[in-house]
Amino acid sequence: MSEEFESRLRAALRPVAPSPEFTRNLIARVTADKRTEANTPGGRRRNPKATAWWLSAGMAVSLLMAVGVQQHLQERRETERGLEARREVIEALRMTSQKLNLAYEVIKSQSPSLADDKPGV
Amino acid sequence: MRILCALDKDKLTLNEAPQGFSDEHLAKARAGDTAALALLIRAHQRTVYSLALRLLGTRELAEDLTQDVFMQLNGNLKSIASNTHLLFWLRQVTSHRAIDQLRRRSRIEMTSLDDEVQLVGTADGGDPLLQRHLQQLLLELSPPARAVLLLRYQEDLDPVDIARTLDMPVNTVKSHLKRSLEILRQRTPPPERRRCEDKST
Repeated sequence: MSEEFESRLRAALRPVAPSPEFTRNLIARVTADKRTEANTPGGRRRNPKATAWWLSAGMAVSLLMAVGVQQHLQERRETERGLEARREVIEALRMTSQKLNLAYEVIKSQSPSLADDKPGV
Repeated sequence: MRILCALDKDKLTLNEAPQGFSDEHLAKARAGDTAALALLIRAHQRTVYSLALRLLGTRELAEDLTQDVFMQLNGNLKSIASNTHLLFWLRQVTSHRAIDQLRRRSRIEMTSLDDEVQLVGTADGGDPLLQRHLQQLLLELSPPARAVLLLRYQEDLDPVDIARTLDMPVNTVKSHLKRSLEILRQRTPPPERRRCEDKST
């Protein structure tokens, strides 16, 4: 019973052929692809997957480089701003010191008791 | 790549490749001989097309898949070691691609297989109604179960070869076979009853 059913199933599932037109088109397409491949300079055509991989890798590297350059420029800008601020602070201190010395000279000229003291602490 | 790595060429016990296409032809096709490539397609297109047709259920999808498989083969021809390997590769790639396609599509339109059934019926003199009935039942099975059944009864592979082709455990293949056969047997009337049904209609 089981074997009989299996043989019926086997008979029902015999391979079928596609239409002759489809076969002709298929052969034409595959062989044309083969010829194109043979005529492509440098031998085989590039594998689309490999191309996509290299493209993604290239983009990732470019992105990393852009981020790195951006970070470097940012650091340089901050260092320059820090140096500028330092210069301004030194200038301010120098000016303050000058003013204090001037004030000290004025006070000293008005009160002779301070004449012996040294200016500019 | 996974497909080629999974292949253990020494352990292959798959049935012979169709006659008329030898390893010599394969070597010529690998070397770029388009006539040998055409012969290869003619020799193996029935296997690929029949698997695709019965797995996907429509002639259009089967033709598209058959073309894709042979285009892929064209790119991988250098890695094919022998005619047996070629047949294994074609069955494996066709089955995997069809199953993937069926999984991607939640619902596939099942158009009539009348034309194909007529082709089979006229070719071998079998019962075309039974063939159509069985093929329709086949489309109701899950894609892996369908692939297992087709590789068993269309391609005549044993469970070990089916397991290797579909990358699944042998026990899973056996349970798919058992369950699918039960379903088909339960839903297929015996030949006598079928004849009566046919007369009454």
